[in-house]
Amino acid sequence: MTAMIWMEDICKTYRLGEMEVPILKGINLTIEEGDYVSIMGASGSGKSTLMNIMGCLDRPSSGHYVLEGRNLTTLNHEELAYIRNQRIGFVFQQFNLLSRSTALENVMLPMIYAGASRRQRQKQAAAALVRVGLGDRIGNRPNQLSGGQQQRVAIARALVNRPALILADEPTGALDTQTSGEVMALLSELNHQGITVLIVTHEPDIAAQTHRVIYVQDGLLQQDKNDNSS
Amino acid sequence: MARASLTITDLPSISTVEILEMAIAALWTNKLRTALTMLGVIIGITAVIAVTSVGQGVQSATAANLQGLGADILQVRAGSANSGNVRQGSGSATTLTWSDAQAIASQVLAAETVTVYLTQNAQVVYAQNNTSITVLGTDTNYATVNNITLQSGRFFTEEELSAAQAVAVLGATVRDDLFGSSEAIGANIRIQGQRYSVLGVANEKGAQGRENPDEQIYVPLTNMSARLVGNNALKGIAVQGIAVKVTEQAQLEAADFQMTNLLRVRHDIHPARGDEDDFQIVSAADLVETLTSTVGLFTIMVVAIAGISLVVGGIGIANIMLVSVVERTREIGIRKAVGATNRAILSQFLAEAIAISAAGGVLGAGLGIAIAKVAATLFDFPFVISLWAIVFGVGLSFVIGMAAGVMPARSAAKLDPIIALRSD
Repeated sequence: MTAMIWMEDICKTYRLGEMEVPILKGINLTIEEGDYVSIMGASGSGKSTLMNIMGCLDRPSSGHYVLEGRNLTTLNHEELAYIRNQRIGFVFQQFNLLSRSTALENVMLPMIYAGASRRQRQKQAAAALVRVGLGDRIGNRPNQLSGGQQQRVAIARALVNRPALILADEPTGALDTQTSGEVMALLSELNHQGITVLIVTHEPDIAAQTHRVIYVQDGLLQQDKNDNSS
Repeated sequence: MARASLTITDLPSISTVEILEMAIAALWTNKLRTALTMLGVIIGITAVIAVTSVGQGVQSATAANLQGLGADILQVRAGSANSGNVRQGSGSATTLTWSDAQAIASQVLAAETVTVYLTQNAQVVYAQNNTSITVLGTDTNYATVNNITLQSGRFFTEEELSAAQAVAVLGATVRDDLFGSSEAIGANIRIQGQRYSVLGVANEKGAQGRENPDEQIYVPLTNMSARLVGNNALKGIAVQGIAVKVTEQAQLEAADFQMTNLLRVRHDIHPARGDEDDFQIVSAADLVETLTSTVGLFTIMVVAIAGISLVVGGIGIANIMLVSVVERTREIGIRKAVGATNRAILSQFLAEAIAISAAGGVLGAGLGIAIAKVAATLFDFPFVISLWAIVFGVGLSFVIGMAAGVMPARSAAKLDPIIALRSD
């Protein structure tokens, strides 16, 4: 079994004026393909930075990051954009949909940057919306949808380019218990279909639904439910 | 563990059409702002197109008008071109006389026909009708030199001229104003209270430059000098101008030279002594040239002012685009997260700036053409539209958009997606 994510001694240091603030102090981590993982930690622990590096939104100051056997440490901005576009889907706490665009247009967005034709975009985006149970809402704008529905549009957007990895940052943080359950069920279903799913959360209930929990504290991995690499 | 470092080739690139569609969609969501931003460019391009078009129309109209004056005619006007540094209106001094004209006719070989004129505004009355027009005193050659033909009656004769008879020939408009449908020939009109008998009516000729022969009355110079204006020349009869028709156009320069010398001798002017001519000789060609260059200068001036409006319009676009980048920080973050490259973001914002400006340019060109068309119809000059001005105007608006968009687009492209996603 190949590793989806392989990290070796990942460090991230921010510079605040003269001061250097270390956020990640040497993360070693392996996540297998098809796994369902949650990352927990107090705010300021570095879990968001870790997730940003995994999602190619940020680069480590040192260390190696290999995604699907591809060393990302040496890639330039354009290549990282391509990885985000093709291999990774993001789900955010605040949904982050384009407010003036319809559900369908929002889901089509990653495909525009993939260079897909208009017809292909429409077909694939509509299929993704059907997959998250919003086949009848494709023409609605975000303000015409409930929070749970908006998050499902965001998940459809994350899915549409058939990524290998979905990164969800507090996906249920802005939702009530019932819709949280629906969103978690959807993520779990996607994991069953073979996509590696990684959730950042501070809610133990949510973490408990995943197969593996990683704890981050002060920039280091503290404890891992069923992993011994740290 | 696979750790091979792979390079990614064939990065997908987003098509220009796609980027343009996104740009237009973004502009469409904020129609009022887009329209207001466009306004600067619209005004600038409208001004450029309208002014160049009107300028060209007026130039060709004046040229055509002045050609009617006759290309083979030299005008001698009383008064120097310059007196010290002050330019005086030609014809204001009374240094030319009828005998100067007679001397030119007899001594300048290149002069075929010579005529003189003296004008005065006067009140003209017939029955209850009364109009203020220009009375022009002249000799019998005036009609020949100025291509005036009569629709009825006749011009005055040498006998009537030398006897200073109170006779008059009316311009077409004057006849209509005074007589309407009744018969003019043989009727008596009053010019400044003096009785004149109407001999003939001229055909319509249309305005030529500043003068309109249709709104004039022709009387014998001798009569006019004696009865309508006070003769203030030292000797002979004072005239405002002498018009000389040359034998052929090639003789214009020779005639000019000979006339200048003759008049200097007659007026006792010695340039070697530092004297200045008290007359000036101009040809229709000179007038065309002067007017054309004046209109041309005016056109350049207005276009320069329009250019300032375009620069201001460009700054307006840059300003609004900068605001737009700040407002749409989160949108930029989202786009980057789902795979937009820096170049795709740059292109989108650049395309928005160019779309605003180019659309303004096209609208401005349309508006400019419309204004030029209306002006041409209203003021009766040919509607000339220069393709060059349109291409230049629209091209310029494109360049302005590009220049205005570069800075905002670059700041959008350089946004850090993490920070952009965190913004409100």
